[in-house]
Amino acid sequence: MRRALWLAASWRVRATTYIVLIVASIWVLTPFVWAIQNSIKSLTDTFNPAAIVPFVNYTPTLSSWIKVLSDNQAIPALLSSLIVSSGTTLLVILLGTPAAYSLAGFEFPIRSRDLNLWFYSQRVMPPVVVLAPFFILLVQLKLVDTWIGLILIYTTFNLTFGIVIMRDVFREISRDINDAAKVDGANAWQIFWLIAIPLSLDGLIVTGIIVFSFCWNEALFASAVAPQHAATLATFVLASRSTQGVNFNIAAVNTLIAIMPPVLMSLFVHRYLARGLTFGAVKG
Amino acid sequence: MHDLKLPFVRRSERLYSSSNTLKYIFILPAALWIVAFTIFPVFATIQYSFANYVLGRGITAYVGLENYLNVLRSGAFWYSMFITSAYVSIAVPVELVLGFLLAWFVILCPREHNFFRPILTAPLFTMEVAIGYLGITLFTSQGGLFAEVLDYFGIHILWMTTAYGGLAAAIILDVWRWTPFVFLIAIAGLTGIPDEMYEAALLETSNYRHLLLYIALPLSWPVLSVALLLRLIEALKTFGIPLALTGGGPGISTQLFSILNYYTTIQFFDFGKGSAMALIYLVFVSVVVALFFNRLRKGFE
Repeated sequence: MRRALWLAASWRVRATTYIVLIVASIWVLTPFVWAIQNSIKSLTDTFNPAAIVPFVNYTPTLSSWIKVLSDNQAIPALLSSLIVSSGTTLLVILLGTPAAYSLAGFEFPIRSRDLNLWFYSQRVMPPVVVLAPFFILLVQLKLVDTWIGLILIYTTFNLTFGIVIMRDVFREISRDINDAAKVDGANAWQIFWLIAIPLSLDGLIVTGIIVFSFCWNEALFASAVAPQHAATLATFVLASRSTQGVNFNIAAVNTLIAIMPPVLMSLFVHRYLARGLTFGAVKG
Repeated sequence: MHDLKLPFVRRSERLYSSSNTLKYIFILPAALWIVAFTIFPVFATIQYSFANYVLGRGITAYVGLENYLNVLRSGAFWYSMFITSAYVSIAVPVELVLGFLLAWFVILCPREHNFFRPILTAPLFTMEVAIGYLGITLFTSQGGLFAEVLDYFGIHILWMTTAYGGLAAAIILDVWRWTPFVFLIAIAGLTGIPDEMYEAALLETSNYRHLLLYIALPLSWPVLSVALLLRLIEALKTFGIPLALTGGGPGISTQLFSILNYYTTIQFFDFGKGSAMALIYLVFVSVVVALFFNRLRKGFE
């Protein structure tokens, strides 16, 4: 990406660059390939080190996929994950967008640095610290093992994050556009709804994707407060780990189902990703 | 990523000068939610930590410092602190170095070979318990890929059945899972360095190691320090990978703090002890993070 640097580089630097990047790519891709490979093998083939090339060394089969997907737990878990993650994302965006806009645009008695500090302190606290109170709260509200219970917890954990990053997105909007809209007679609501939201859409989508992935991947609260009826994929994976153990093919299918959605989503976003993951501390 | 300014240039001016009731209406729902659900749990945890809590009956008695003393007398607690510290102090530096180096090479690499970037960020959003689960099939001595490959080269490590093997396997998966996080942030840092810096330096030296060590590293350090701090914070909460990989075993040998606390609270329903444990750990984490934050605070201002 740095033309000047590359052009001045000796062949040794160039060779090192490619070797390092290729080795790193192999390292990164191997578990994915291994999982895909095992997911289309029969159980006996997974123990055969010579079974490398499909159709040549072994006959690929979809039996593990069919077995997992026809299991009466996988589909409900997938559904739970989808509902809980999208529900939380929606709620965070719904509650967070106006708050973020307000913090970005208006004067408040709180300094934004103090807000950041408070936010970071929230981040520092291991979630396990509040496990007992949330568990007891859900028991009292009769929300144990429900989607709503999980959504409530996840929204709490992600709302501050969403606000901090979306506030940053809204700050990017140029003052001139805002002033021009005002001159044209737009009120504050119209500026928010017709100008700020459309202009920040990609930033908001990235925020949404990050929140979605956090919820999707969360395992501690998921398995603690929703062990059965509302079990998400994380809980399902942990459960099948203890029941299916070392069945490589089943493990592979379960892993692939669990990791694919957020990974695929993240492929479509590059802008704002570094910023989103550092909660606005890094521009990029 | 293209229209990059130098990092950390914050604008202080507000976009909209007019103040009205709308700003409070906008902020109210979120503020209420946060006050309702983030303040009470911390106080509740503090309360439970001094109490004997029985599920279904609530607080049966206040026991003073007994829960705390129980935790401090427990070998499993101190062991979990030790093993968590070991995990964090190996995994985080490795991820920092690898992530930065990979970012440097991706920055060097010509734009038409940009495909390395999405590949190297692929593990970023993978579910940790799923990776731990997949890890079993990579590290088991019965046909695990990683174990087999090392065996082929004459290296025999009992990954899944020994304490150090289990810890090492979990750290390897952690590095696989989290290096992309540092990588992505390091790219943002390196992209922020103006071309002229390198061009000027190239007049003096053609040694790329010098460019890396004396230009790229110091100039992207503020950004890297953000990555370091966030990684540290997250690593201290590590839960999913070791839980799914080893379940804390063999024995309690890979029982990191979060796993121990989780078992205490949810499996044994010992809310009093679990809360006391959590608060002691919270103090420990806060001290560690505060020490790092003070050293690295430049990156956040």
